[in-house]
Amino acid sequence: MGDLSWKDFLTQAKQFLEISQKLGDNWVLEQKDSNEPNTYLKCSQKIKGQCGKNAGDLVSVEYHVVFSVSYQVPMLFFQAHRSDGSLLDVEATWKMFMPESKASDLHQILTQMDHPVLFRPYMALHPCRTAEVLKQFGKPSCNQVLSFISLYGPHVQLHLQNAYGLSQEYT
Amino acid sequence: MSTENETILQFAPWESFVSPTFWHKLAELKLDYDRLSDSKRSITGHYTNRNASGCLLEVDYTAYNRTAQPPKFSHAAIGTIYNKNTIEEFKALDKLQLLVDEGKALLADMCSGAALRDPSLLTRFFVLSFADLKCHSYFYWFAFPCPLTPTLKLQGAVQKLRDLANSSSYISALKSLPTESQNFFILYANVESNVFEARNLSSLDEKDIELCYFGFADPSEYEHPAWIMRNYAAFLIQQCPSLVGKPIKFLGLRHNQQMSIDDSLVWQVIQTEACDLSQSGDIKFVGWELNKNGKMGPRMVSMRDSMDPAKLAENSVNLNLKLMKWRLVPDLNLEIITETKCLLFGAGTLGCAVARNLLSWGFKHITLLDSGKVGFSNPVRQNLYMHADAVAGNRMKATTAAQRLKEINPSAETAGYVLEIPMPGHTVGESLLAQTKEHLKVIEQLVQDHDVIFLLTDSRESRWLPTLLGAAKEKIVINAALGFDSYLVMRHGTTRTEAGDVGQEIEGLKCINGDQLGCYFCNDVTAPGNSLKDRTLDQQCTVTRPGVSNIAASYAVELLVALLQHPRKELAPAYYAQSGRGKSEEAAGKVPEGLLGILPHSIRGMLCNYENILPATQKFAQCIACSAAVLDQYKKEGHAFLLKTFETAKYLEDLTGISEFKRLNSEIIDFDDEEFDMSDDDEN
Repeated sequence: MGDLSWKDFLTQAKQFLEISQKLGDNWVLEQKDSNEPNTYLKCSQKIKGQCGKNAGDLVSVEYHVVFSVSYQVPMLFFQAHRSDGSLLDVEATWKMFMPESKASDLHQILTQMDHPVLFRPYMALHPCRTAEVLKQFGKPSCNQVLSFISLYGPHVQLHLQNAYGLSQEYT
Repeated sequence: MSTENETILQFAPWESFVSPTFWHKLAELKLDYDRLSDSKRSITGHYTNRNASGCLLEVDYTAYNRTAQPPKFSHAAIGTIYNKNTIEEFKALDKLQLLVDEGKALLADMCSGAALRDPSLLTRFFVLSFADLKCHSYFYWFAFPCPLTPTLKLQGAVQKLRDLANSSSYISALKSLPTESQNFFILYANVESNVFEARNLSSLDEKDIELCYFGFADPSEYEHPAWIMRNYAAFLIQQCPSLVGKPIKFLGLRHNQQMSIDDSLVWQVIQTEACDLSQSGDIKFVGWELNKNGKMGPRMVSMRDSMDPAKLAENSVNLNLKLMKWRLVPDLNLEIITETKCLLFGAGTLGCAVARNLLSWGFKHITLLDSGKVGFSNPVRQNLYMHADAVAGNRMKATTAAQRLKEINPSAETAGYVLEIPMPGHTVGESLLAQTKEHLKVIEQLVQDHDVIFLLTDSRESRWLPTLLGAAKEKIVINAALGFDSYLVMRHGTTRTEAGDVGQEIEGLKCINGDQLGCYFCNDVTAPGNSLKDRTLDQQCTVTRPGVSNIAASYAVELLVALLQHPRKELAPAYYAQSGRGKSEEAAGKVPEGLLGILPHSIRGMLCNYENILPATQKFAQCIACSAAVLDQYKKEGHAFLLKTFETAKYLEDLTGISEFKRLNSEIIDFDDEEFDMSDDDEN
């Protein structure tokens, strides 16, 4: 269980968005309705498939950083689709992000869950160990959302520019 | 300039990239607005020249908005969707003519100067589609029309912007260009007078034209410029015919992730032949997108997985099971579970609970058989019914349960049969004879059509016919019976024969092969002999501690799943530790385990001490339900035999020779007990 409150999440997400805008990145803050937790950070990118018969095919991945009420930590949800609009299921997603290692830790945390804001099944990195991981992350961070994205994102090819870490005022 | 180093400039073709939201919105528009109309609809797409992958033209749900709102770092493309009503219309449409029509509209914009005011008209595309909304399938074909103009020859090598002389002046001039003008623009570079300016395309002028770089946001990640440059060049030459035969410099503006434009490319090209686009009658067009196989043809995508709620549920249910397979039990065979057809005799407390557990495991085919109506006492224990079902007064359990299962999981195939199970010793009157025969036929057929028979009724004698039919038709039979605070769950020994390994002999363990195991009627149904008072399981079945049925139902389904996962299925041997020989606990630890642990013959448990024991017992050669004598007689005489047993159970006892046996120990079989009569308000 983390110690991030919904208000903290919102504040830090907005700080993150500011950094992103300064750096010219394409993150946006989506607000669905007035039922909290209703707001999440969103961005998307294209990734080339790495293995199988569709290697080289482009896939569009949309990432959502959402607040987990039960774990009190940020959570990474994402959805990937092919050029015809069809979604990748869990197996295809696993294959894309973990072409080799079957015993990878990611196997344990990459799963499908209901999106807490959109109420639809999305791929997600399970939040059960996030609090622990965030605590192990060196000196306490002022922006857990930023730390979280930089720690968890790379597992699913979401890489932040180093410049995010250099925005001293927030980290 | 010599012609040797001139090569024909090639373009990176557009690749359509569709967001699922584009299909969602199309379905919504078709259902709510367009209905039967198939008139064309204006749409917009977008493309980005920042950190571009491939050469993508993207569409999402915003495509249908009245005004284009391309996302950050993206530019708008102008399009049209022709969504046909039927697949036949989609197929029959004259594709060449459509391309010509669209191409002519493009030429009109080029010639009229409309494209000068709004250059996004040059990035024109259209989609021919058919949305099969029932199956959530979308047939579609993108086209990016382009007039077939004389080829452009590349002069010299392709250059990077940063490698040009004066590149820093160019770059600073380009940085001043507002984003919305970046799709098509002019870079005016007068080195002599040191004037470097990025200008709107609308300032196009034939004067000083050799000092201009014709810039465009280039979504291509390749060395070739994007397909849009083709229309751009045609448009420029149409506007400035003096460009024919002269070198023209094109600048493909490309941002990297950090928004640097250093890697933008410059192509110097020449078109030697003139071509008047206003004479559109002579112009040919190209632009249909190749499909995934590199052929001229449409594409099809099934969006069922993300658009059909039933499919969404099915996938989510399967996910839980698949996670079990992926993470914990890699060899778990989920296919066999979806394929196995289950027939439940009884849709009461046990039947409802078993059915729900079957759904949880991903079983798809569930049939229930019961003759009762939902009563007022039922809903609290029988978890597929509601109070309203009882109030209605005419809801039959079997059909109501089948319907509820379907409501819970729409992809389940369920059925309910309102049928009385004929029972030994329950005489069939003359008036009911025809109906009974009819019911028998249905029951026999149902057993035949299923793989697994669950015995979940509330009386002992109602289990006789299903036990016999299960044995006669070589089905897997799972039986659950309840006492006040005790339960018995067992798999019947199979009559199926198949060569294969027999069970291993293990010291301290008794091993009985699957075809030698007893059925419910082979054994005495007295609860395990321990210090507690013996209670027969059936006698008090209508008065049970509520948890008992849920426990028994869960064990029944788990036992079936363990059996299905065993390589020998119902032929799998059962082991049990023989008590009284010491070390029985040690021996119990040696029972061979299958995929999901051990596979016992029966589970007898008590709630009063929270204990289970797992006895395995042999087939009884004189069994009144599964012995060879009974099965042979049934096969020989069919209904006539069954009717004789319904007349009097004594017939069975004589047939099997059990009368003799009973004389010796009258405690074992207790068949004609009137207390077993099914009543209407029981827990069924």
